[in-house]
Amino acid sequence: MTQRRVAITGLGLVSPFGGDLADFFTRLSAGESAITHLLTDDLPRPLSIPFVSCSAFDADAALGKPLASMMDRFAQLGVAAAFSAWDDAGLPRSAENGTRDNWGVAWGTALGGTLAYEKGYRELWQKGRERLSPLSVLLGMNNAANAHISIQLGLGGVSMSHTVACASSAIAIGEAFRRVRSGEATVMMTGGSDVPQAYGVARAWEALRVMATGDQDTSPSACRPFAADRRGLVLGEGGAALVLEDWEHAVARGATIHGEMVGYGNSCDHTHLVRPEAAGQVRALAATLADAGLSADDIDYVNAHGTATAEGDPIEVNALKMVFGDRAAQLPVSATKSMHGHLLGAAGAIEAICTVLALREQTIPPTINLDNNLDPACAGVDHVSTGRHHVKLRAALSNSFAFGGSNAVLAFKACSA
Amino acid sequence: MESLNLIRDFLKDRLGVEAEKIVPEAALADLGVDSLMMLELMFEFEDHFGIKLSSDLQPPKTVGEMVEQMDQLISEQKP
Repeated sequence: MTQRRVAITGLGLVSPFGGDLADFFTRLSAGESAITHLLTDDLPRPLSIPFVSCSAFDADAALGKPLASMMDRFAQLGVAAAFSAWDDAGLPRSAENGTRDNWGVAWGTALGGTLAYEKGYRELWQKGRERLSPLSVLLGMNNAANAHISIQLGLGGVSMSHTVACASSAIAIGEAFRRVRSGEATVMMTGGSDVPQAYGVARAWEALRVMATGDQDTSPSACRPFAADRRGLVLGEGGAALVLEDWEHAVARGATIHGEMVGYGNSCDHTHLVRPEAAGQVRALAATLADAGLSADDIDYVNAHGTATAEGDPIEVNALKMVFGDRAAQLPVSATKSMHGHLLGAAGAIEAICTVLALREQTIPPTINLDNNLDPACAGVDHVSTGRHHVKLRAALSNSFAFGGSNAVLAFKACSA
Repeated sequence: MESLNLIRDFLKDRLGVEAEKIVPEAALADLGVDSLMMLELMFEFEDHFGIKLSSDLQPPKTVGEMVEQMDQLISEQKP
C-alpha cells in the first residue's frame, strides 16, 4: 500500500503564559518558566505546590457559555486548543454533511474528567447531597474532549481517546499519524488535555514522592531535569492540539505546512509499573527511527521526556546513548517540562508542538535550571541549557515515557529538510 | 411565578435567552432546550425547591406546561 506523507498544518494550545502560540515558543526559547505556586483553599489541608496553571483561560469566552457549560475543564482546555489548531490550519469550523466522513480525532488524556467526578464526591460525601447533576457522566467521561471536537468540527471518522498516563497524547498523535499515512483518514485532529489539580489526584501524586516542592519564590525554578539537585516533577494543566493532514490534500488547498510527521514507534518496558527501563525506551526509539526511515545521524534534536525525577532522567539519557552511540555527545537534548511543567495526558502533545516549532523556527528551547549543575549520571548528550537560535535542524524526536512502562516516540522533519 | 423565574434564570445563564422570549406559550425546544438540557432543568427544580420528580415524569413541551407541572408538584410535596 502506498504511504501518504503527513503534513502538520495546524498547531494550537492553551498557553500557560496566556498568550498565543508564537508568544509561547518565544518565551520557552528565552528560558522563561510558566511554573507558579498553587495554593488552594481545599480542606482539610490546602494544596501548596509548584504548578502550571492556565489561569488566563476563560472557557466561556473561548467556547461560548452554552458549550463550555457542557464540559469539564479538561474538555474545555482540549476543545479550545483544538479550535485554535483548526483555525491555524485555515479550515472552517463547519462543513457540508459528508465532506469530512473520514476525518477523525485521536485524543490523549490521563485523567479525563476527574475534576467533575471529584466535585460529585464532594457533593455527596461532604455536603450530604442525595443527587448529582444529570451532566455528571458526560462531564466526567474520558472521551468527552474528542466527542465534543468531533461534534463541533463535523468530523465523521474515528473519534477515540487514549489513556496511557504520561504517554497518552504522544500515543494519540502516533495513532492519528498512522491513519493519515495509510490513507484511512485525510485529516486527523490530535493532541491531549488534562487537569491534575483535583484535590485527590494531586494528593495521590504527592504520595508517590515524585513531586518537586516549592513556595512563591522557588516554584518557578522547581523543575530541574537532569540537574544534580533535581527534586521531582511539577504538574500542570493544559491542552495542546495538532492537525495532521494528507500532504497532497494540504498542498492542494494551499495550507501552510509547519512540518512533516515521519515516524512513530512504541514499546512497553514490561518490567515494572513505575521504574523505567532503558531497554524498553531503546526499542521505542529504534522503532521510530525505522518507521521514519531515518538514521541516528539524521536527528538534530530530541525533546526529552525529562520529568526531573531521580530515576527517570539518567535512564532516558542512557537509552539515548545506546541508540545514538558515539554521536550522543553531540546530540542536542532538552526537557521543556522545566518550563511548561508535566501536563500528564497533554505532555506528549505540548512537547510535539515544541519539537515541530523547534524545527520550523530552527531554534532549540532549553532545559532551564541546568547551568553548571548537570548530574554526572545524566551526562553523555549535548544538554541545551540556554536557547539556541539559528541552528540547522533537519529532523527531531519527541520522547514520552509513561508509568506502566508504555513508551512512545514521535519523529518530525523540517519542511525544508 | 417562582417556577417561571427559575426557567428564565436557567435559560439566560446557559443559552443567553432573553427573559421576554420565555413566555408560557413558547416551546421549550424552540428556546434551545434539548432532551439533555431538559434533564438539567428538572434537576434544577428538584434542587431549588427540594422536590422529587418521578423518573417516568413526562417532559413538558412548553414553558407554560412546565410551570404548571412544577407548581403542582411543589404544592403537593410542600412539607
